[in-house]
Amino acid sequence: MIDFVRIFLPTAVSLAAPLMLAAMGGYLSERSGVINIALEGKMLMAACAAALAAASSGNAAIGLLVGIAAALVMSLAHWLFTQTYKLDHIVSGMALNLVAVGGSNFLNKRFTDLSATGQIPQLPLPVYYVLAFGLPVILLVYTTRTRPGLRMLAVGSDPGKSRQMGVDPLRVRMLGLIGTGVFTGLAGVLIVSNAGRFTDGMTGGKGYIALAALILGRWRPVPAAAAALLFGMFEALQIQFQGTPLLGARLPSEFWLCIPYVVTIVAMAGLLGQSRAPAGLGKP
Amino acid sequence: MTPTVEFKGISKRFGDVQALEDVAMSVHQGEIHAVLGENGAGKTTLMRILYGAIRPDAGQVLLDGQPRAFRNSAEAILAGVGMVSQHYSIIPEITCLENLMLGAEPGFVVSPKLATERAETIAQRMGFQFDWKARADTLSPGGAQKLEILKLLWRRSRILVLDEPTAMLSPDDADALYASLRQLAQDGATVLVVTHRTREVVAHCDRATVLRGGRLVTSLDVKDADASSLAQFIIGHPLAELEPRPVSHPSGPGMVLKDVWVKGDRGDDAVRGVSLRLEPGEVVGLAGVDGSGQRELFQALVGVRKIERGDVNVGERPLAQTPSARRLEAGIRLIPEDRHLEGVIERWSLEANAMLGLQRRAEMRSGPWVATGARRALAEEVVARFDTRFGKLSDPIASLSGGNQQRLVAARALARDAQVILAFQPARGLDLDSTQRVYKAIREACDAGACALVVSFDLDELLEYCDRVTAIFSGVLRSPEQGSERDRYAIGRLMVGADA
Repeated sequence: MIDFVRIFLPTAVSLAAPLMLAAMGGYLSERSGVINIALEGKMLMAACAAALAAASSGNAAIGLLVGIAAALVMSLAHWLFTQTYKLDHIVSGMALNLVAVGGSNFLNKRFTDLSATGQIPQLPLPVYYVLAFGLPVILLVYTTRTRPGLRMLAVGSDPGKSRQMGVDPLRVRMLGLIGTGVFTGLAGVLIVSNAGRFTDGMTGGKGYIALAALILGRWRPVPAAAAALLFGMFEALQIQFQGTPLLGARLPSEFWLCIPYVVTIVAMAGLLGQSRAPAGLGKP
Repeated sequence: MTPTVEFKGISKRFGDVQALEDVAMSVHQGEIHAVLGENGAGKTTLMRILYGAIRPDAGQVLLDGQPRAFRNSAEAILAGVGMVSQHYSIIPEITCLENLMLGAEPGFVVSPKLATERAETIAQRMGFQFDWKARADTLSPGGAQKLEILKLLWRRSRILVLDEPTAMLSPDDADALYASLRQLAQDGATVLVVTHRTREVVAHCDRATVLRGGRLVTSLDVKDADASSLAQFIIGHPLAELEPRPVSHPSGPGMVLKDVWVKGDRGDDAVRGVSLRLEPGEVVGLAGVDGSGQRELFQALVGVRKIERGDVNVGERPLAQTPSARRLEAGIRLIPEDRHLEGVIERWSLEANAMLGLQRRAEMRSGPWVATGARRALAEEVVARFDTRFGKLSDPIASLSGGNQQRLVAARALARDAQVILAFQPARGLDLDSTQRVYKAIREACDAGACALVVSFDLDELLEYCDRVTAIFSGVLRSPEQGSERDRYAIGRLMVGADA
């Protein structure tokens, strides 16, 4: 029990927080109708940029800002491709993910000071945790009680009809993607802060798990955050149980890693109630 | 008196099509003004110019004598113009209150309590009642139309434009709508109603402006006109009455449906226990509001949707669980709802499209090959039937206008050995003349022994052209009682389930 509180919970929270932040970023994008499989790339780019900026400036705040800016640039590129040039949302997302893998690898190799030792400067982690847990509620209020929130829901459901009502889907989606950039940026910075330094591909599919959490939470902020927390817990369990036999069987660690995906597939198949994507998802 | 709305010399061209040419028209405060014309006459384009959704190539729009050039709908809304488009702009996934406010929210932070209060005030003024927290997809078509009107009032619109507002309404709901519009006009609003239904214009409107082929025909006081003189203005010549059908009892297989159940896309029962007998020679109209199960029933009958249980027989042949090829062979033919998606392959030639669905017939084959001569003959027969206008038979069918594609699709369905004609809005996108010709052709096929089931959302069209009309409401067939078989109000009530 003591172990649970002292070891398991903190691990779970630190693993879940980036997922929750990224899922909220995905929420703002997908609810306004932009399919976003590039959460992963944005986090990776943010992590890399934050590490480099923080290390070279010695200032954690600068690292944070540069990290967010990197994700923001990626997010606005996604807006430009999908909204101005009407590129397929999946294709644009794939491209951005690939750019992030290559780009972060290049930047890391080119600019990392190999003689530097120790951790990069970072802000206290609880700041991120508080944000991760507060954000879903804030977004819920934003969606149900404010003008931009209502317009986001409307555009995500039917961009054509929204336009008839004098709402400009392009502006609404840009606002949504700015939010996506900021929150995935935060998630990326948190991941690199947790680890202490940047390594290639360090987001390790967390962006996809965040997307899975969003889908499992049926594109609603609080359930999506709860799903992200659940997935974080599974990851913590995996660390906990690694190597220890469970019910007499020695399960490979991959077993635990695949659980979020299995749960999501089950959810998508409608076995956990009907999954309702925003009706305007991917529509021009 | 300065007109509230005035159009001066409006012209607009879309590609090769001159949608509007030098159109002038004026509307005064407090009147209900009908804008009449056939599909493609330019009436919706003219209204969308007023609403700022389209910019004219030439000409001016004046509001209260002031020239205005709206760059977008938001500017028109600010100037007091509100438009309800034919397909409504209600978003089903959000609540009624959210729909009401969308685009004109009271502030950055929206207080549901205050917004509901204002919504209630407006609704009470019109005598409407709404559950504001309910999602908009729970609304009936009549309720959705009421919400659209409240949306205009919420925006303080004083010039109300309604595009085919009664297209989805039962006659009772349509009368109620016009009563609301009259009340608003008396309170000082200016109302423009785009329609092709002359009956409504005569009953409810003050003035009418008629457009034909993008040009102004006339503007007149409705009290000086009747339905047939308006129809003459609309089509340019008197509409020949379709002769009453002689009673004929040709021999043919007919079709019998017995307790047919079909599931919808969401796994719900979309068609619930439909039993229907189509005698040879009979044209039966299926009246109903869009989404009452007509679509699923038709898909099930042609074999692209599974029939869960029940029997479908054409003559002696049970077809309920057979593939579509068997059904085509038995003479089931479809004039589909969406010709682009279900009726034609757009990049294929007219000739190839004319054969779709008939390719298995013996005369279309020559060993393992397509009998090209027979295919050409069929294509020529099909395009000649309703005067499809085209360049060459080898042109892709996408080069045809919508109306011409519809002519081809309808002609193809009637071409060879049609025994059961399933027509889903066969007159969609056609002018009155062509509508008559299509129905006439369906009747002729039926006189030769076929039977037909026709879906339309326009009850008057069905009453005019069908031998009998039955209604469908949420997947259940509801036949009018004896004595009210041709009573549009009685059938209208069956369509919306108001009698139950």
